[in-house]
Amino acid sequence: MIEARNLHKRFGDVIALDGVSFRCEDGRITGLLGPNGAGKTTALRILCTVMHPDEGSATVDGFDTVRAPREVLSRIGALPDQRGLYPRLTARENIRYYGRLHGMRGLPLERAIERLIHLLDLEDAVDRRTEGFSQGQRTKVAIARALVHGPRTVLLDEPTNGLDVMSTRAMRHFVLRLKDDGCCVLFSSHVMQEVAALCDDVVLVGAGRVVASGTPDALRAQTGRPDLEDAFVAALGSAEGLE
Amino acid sequence: MRASFGRVWVVLAKEVVDNLRDRRSLLAALVYPMLGPVLMIGLLAIVGRTLDERGDRLLTLPMIGAERAPDLVAFLTNQGANIVDGPPDLVAAEAAVKAGDLDVVVVVPEGYRTLLAEGRPATVRLVLDASRTDSAVDIGRAARLLDGYSRQLGAQRLLARGVDPAVTEALAVERVDVATPQSQAARLLNLLPYFLIFSVFIGGMYLAIDATAGERERGSLEPLLINPVARWELVAGKLLATMLFTVLSVVETLVAFALLLRYVPLEESLGVRLSLAPSSFFVIFAIAAPMILLAVPLQFIVATFTRSFKEAQNYLSFLPLAPALPGMVLAFLPVKPSVATMLVPTFGQQILINRVLRGEFVDPWHVAISTGVTIGLGIVLLAIAVRLYARERILFGT
Repeated sequence: MIEARNLHKRFGDVIALDGVSFRCEDGRITGLLGPNGAGKTTALRILCTVMHPDEGSATVDGFDTVRAPREVLSRIGALPDQRGLYPRLTARENIRYYGRLHGMRGLPLERAIERLIHLLDLEDAVDRRTEGFSQGQRTKVAIARALVHGPRTVLLDEPTNGLDVMSTRAMRHFVLRLKDDGCCVLFSSHVMQEVAALCDDVVLVGAGRVVASGTPDALRAQTGRPDLEDAFVAALGSAEGLE
Repeated sequence: MRASFGRVWVVLAKEVVDNLRDRRSLLAALVYPMLGPVLMIGLLAIVGRTLDERGDRLLTLPMIGAERAPDLVAFLTNQGANIVDGPPDLVAAEAAVKAGDLDVVVVVPEGYRTLLAEGRPATVRLVLDASRTDSAVDIGRAARLLDGYSRQLGAQRLLARGVDPAVTEALAVERVDVATPQSQAARLLNLLPYFLIFSVFIGGMYLAIDATAGERERGSLEPLLINPVARWELVAGKLLATMLFTVLSVVETLVAFALLLRYVPLEESLGVRLSLAPSSFFVIFAIAAPMILLAVPLQFIVATFTRSFKEAQNYLSFLPLAPALPGMVLAFLPVKPSVATMLVPTFGQQILINRVLRGEFVDPWHVAISTGVTIGLGIVLLAIAVRLYARERILFGT
C-alpha cells in the first residue's frame, strides 16, 4: 500500500508538487493521470526514494521513504522515467544484475528471471546484448529487472510511452496480471483512454495539485459528466495536454 | 557488513564484465600502457647511439683532396680513422651531407701545401650538417682529430724555434666526470615515472566515465538507484572496478618496461648495461600504488560533474598533464627529495621512483610521508565522491 501525504517539492522557482496526497490499495490499479509537467514523475521519484519531499511524507507498506529508504526499496519495483539498459550486457545479464542487487542468487534468481522472460514474451531476445533492442524490448527488459525480486508494490512511470499498439496491449495485460496477483500498482500516464481502461482508482493531477480522485464512476458523478473524458476536462479546467 | 560487501562485490563484478566488453576501456587499460615503454626504448636506442662518444667505433672519414695532405692522412689513419675517397667535388660533398648520405666530409683545398709551407694557417673544410643530431658524434670526432693535428704541427713549429709549446696553454682543464654509467642511463629511465603517471590516470579512465557520466547519459542511473543498495556501496563497487583496471595498467607498464630492458640489447647502443633488479619493480609499484587511490576518486568527481561521456572524456584526458609535467622536468633536472617535496602527491612519488631507478638510497621516512599524504588526500576525495552520489541532484548532473 502506498500513502502520499501533502507532498511539496520545488526546483528553484518551479513548484513541481504543491500539496499532493493520495492512497493506493493492494490488489488495485491506481492511475496517476495528468498532463505533461503536472508533477507525476516527481511524485513517483519521491515514492522511489530518489528524491526527498520539501514537505509532507510518503510511505510504502508503512515505511517512510525518507527515513527507511532501504525498506521501501526492497518492497517496490519501479519503471522510472529513465529506463536505460546496459547495452553491452545481454537482457538476461541486465535482469540478473538487479536481482543480485536485491540479494538474490543461484537457482531462485534464475527461476525468477525465466518466469519474467516468459511472462513478458522476451524469449527470443534474452541472450542478446541489449544494444539495438527495439523500444518495446527495452521497456520489457526494464520492467523485468524492476520486478525480478517479486515486489508487492509496483510503480510504473508512463510504461506505454513510445510503444506500438501490440506492445501497449501486452503491457496492459501484464499490469492486469500484477493486479490479479494482489499487487499494489501505481501507474502514471497522460493518456486518458489507457487510464480509463485499466484503473480501479484515478488520481487526477494538474500543476502540482490533486484536482480530483476516486473511481472512474465516482469521478463521473462528481463532475456531472457521463463521459469520462468530459469529466477529466471539467476537473482540470482545460483540455491542455490531455489526449 | 557481509551483506554490504556482497552488494559492493555485485556492482564491482558487473562493472568489470561490462567494461571488459568495451573496446575503449580495454584500449585504455591494456594497450596505452604499452606505448610508453615502447616509445622510451625507441628513444633510448636513438639517443644512445648519438651519446656513444667513446670512440671505440672506427671513424670512417670521406676526404676530398687527400693527395694534397699525405701527412694529415697519415696522422688521421694513425689515430684510428679510416680515410676513404670522398665525393668528386665540394658541391657533391655538400649535397651528400645535406641528403644525410654522409655525416661529414673533410675537404683539403688547392693551395693547402703552399700555405702550410709558408707557415700560414692552411684552410681545411669540414662539410657538416649541425642540425643532424645523429651525425654529431662523427662531426665531433673529426673536428677533434683535425684540431689535434693542428696543435701537433703548431707545437713542432714552436719547438723548432726553441719555445716550449706549453706556454701556449694558459689553462689545463681537466674533466672529472663522476657520472656512473648507471646514472647516465638513468637520465633516460627517468621517463618511467612520467609514463607511470599516465597509466595511473588513463588506465581506468573509460571505466570511471562509463560508471558515472555514462551511467547518467544512457539513463541507467535512476533505475540503478531504485535498488536497495546504499549509495556508498554503489560508489565503492564502481571505484574498486576502476582501481582494478588502473592497477592492471600500471602493472602492465612496469612489466613491459622490465621485459624490454631485459630483452632489448641496449648495451650495444648505450654501451651500458641497464640493470634493474626485479625487486626494484616491486618497490616502484609500492611507491606508485597510493597514487591510484588518489587518481580514481578524482576521476569520479570530475566525471560526475560533467553532463556527458564526451565532456567527461575531454576533462579526464587532461587530468594526467598536471602531475606529469613536473615528471617531464624531473627527467632532465633531478630534484633532491625533501620533506616538502614529499608532501606534494604524485611529485614525491616521481622523485622517489627516480631514485630507485638511479640505484640511490631511498629514505623509508620519505616513502612513508609521501604515501601517507597521498592516501590521506585520496580518502578525502573518496568521501567527496560518495557524498556527491548521496545528493538527489546526481540524477540530473550539476
